[in-house]
Amino acid sequence: MKQKGFDYLKKITAVDYTDRIEVLYFLYDTASAKSDIVKVVLNPTDPAVPSVLRLYKSADWYERELAEMFGVKITGRRTKRLLLEKWNGVDAPLRKSFVWGSDYKKSGAD
Amino acid sequence: MPIMRINVGPIHPSTHGVLRLVVDLDGDTVKNVEPHIGFLHRGVEKLLETRMYMQNPSYLEKLDYIAPLSWDELYVSAVERATGIPVKERAQYARMILLEFQRIASHLLWLGTFCNDVGQLLTMFTWCFRDRAAVLKLLEDVSGSRMFYVNMRLGGLDRDLPADFAKRAYDLTEYLEKKISEYKDVVEGDSVFMGRTKGIGVLDRNEAINIGVSGPVLRAAGVSEDVRKSQPYYFYDKVKFKLPIGFKSDSYDRYRVRYEEMFESIRIIRQALDLMPETGDVKGLPIKLIGPNANPDPVQISRELPRGEGMIYMIPDKQRPARISLRSPAFINLAALAAMSKETKFADLFVIMGSLDIVLAEIDR
Repeated sequence: MKQKGFDYLKKITAVDYTDRIEVLYFLYDTASAKSDIVKVVLNPTDPAVPSVLRLYKSADWYERELAEMFGVKITGRRTKRLLLEKWNGVDAPLRKSFVWGSDYKKSGAD
Repeated sequence: MPIMRINVGPIHPSTHGVLRLVVDLDGDTVKNVEPHIGFLHRGVEKLLETRMYMQNPSYLEKLDYIAPLSWDELYVSAVERATGIPVKERAQYARMILLEFQRIASHLLWLGTFCNDVGQLLTMFTWCFRDRAAVLKLLEDVSGSRMFYVNMRLGGLDRDLPADFAKRAYDLTEYLEKKISEYKDVVEGDSVFMGRTKGIGVLDRNEAINIGVSGPVLRAAGVSEDVRKSQPYYFYDKVKFKLPIGFKSDSYDRYRVRYEEMFESIRIIRQALDLMPETGDVKGLPIKLIGPNANPDPVQISRELPRGEGMIYMIPDKQRPARISLRSPAFINLAALAAMSKETKFADLFVIMGSLDIVLAEIDR
């Protein structure tokens, strides 16, 4: 995609459809103002995508966020540190299986 | 000398919020910066999935408490696109005017605090806040609230505009133009400001694109990119305005771009006031806690926020959105901090960070 002129990665995000996880890459061409979306469909049991950090530096924080919020493994990158560091790395809070507020009860904070 | 590791924050007056930086220093020279974020994380994206459509704008506004109206409008536009509700013509102009006023207010607050960061104490801070208060007063009279407006409704605004809105808005632009012109001598005539911003925090053009910064930071790197030009919304294609760009891509250029942008916003407001239909209704639909008849096609919508390009990717559902993904411009601008501040002095780190115009609430979400 980068060879086609898409030199700007706007955002990486994911959507959990419960039967599948879609990882979306929003690409943009600053010269011609064209945009495109690359969609990767993953199996929800053990999702993993290769890192695009070598092509786009903007992927760095987005990939860490993806790993933290959706439990999607990012293969082939050095920094494994999560982005917000508040989660244990086991719960994936933006998955549909994660119920809003359940971590609050679990932590026993009142 | 051995590398020394210093911890800055999370509570620190120069970080404009709760941000922790781990800085590797060789003497006084910054070798590496690693921002640690997440102290203000509230799980907004998950929270939005649990609320009905029109309960959400209030949460979106708290993302960026300096320019709340911009996020409000971005979200409501996404819902409008999902449901196919058209916006009234007068309301479209009114939204343009309010958004540009919001942009001026945001840039004024940034300029005041940035001058504080640089070391030009309090003159610009008080002047900018004085003039920002005049803008907030107008926004308050339109929406009924001073900080968090929650003024957008599907198809229009919450309430009708005040009777003398056009005259007051026009007078306000004249006042602002006069006052903002005065800033230039104070800021650029100051050798401290110029010495501490010129040539500091340079971000190469290609690297700026690769890192993915947006808004004034990208334009200061010489890229003429603005959502208002590349994908015009409302009547931005009918009004004339320039995109100020920088050439050296240092902190001074980022100041310069924002400074010029305020005058461009004033131009947009005046043209929009002339083009706006004299009479008509701007009221949108009342808030009803029922889901719109949304088709489940994903909605992708972009807006030029004061800090850069904001984007919402929404999967609509009947009662509430199934997924909302937010692209916050300050998030990725902060990610560029490490690239900008390598091999600079430690004292310049906060000038560079100030020139990025970050809001931590929007970064952590």
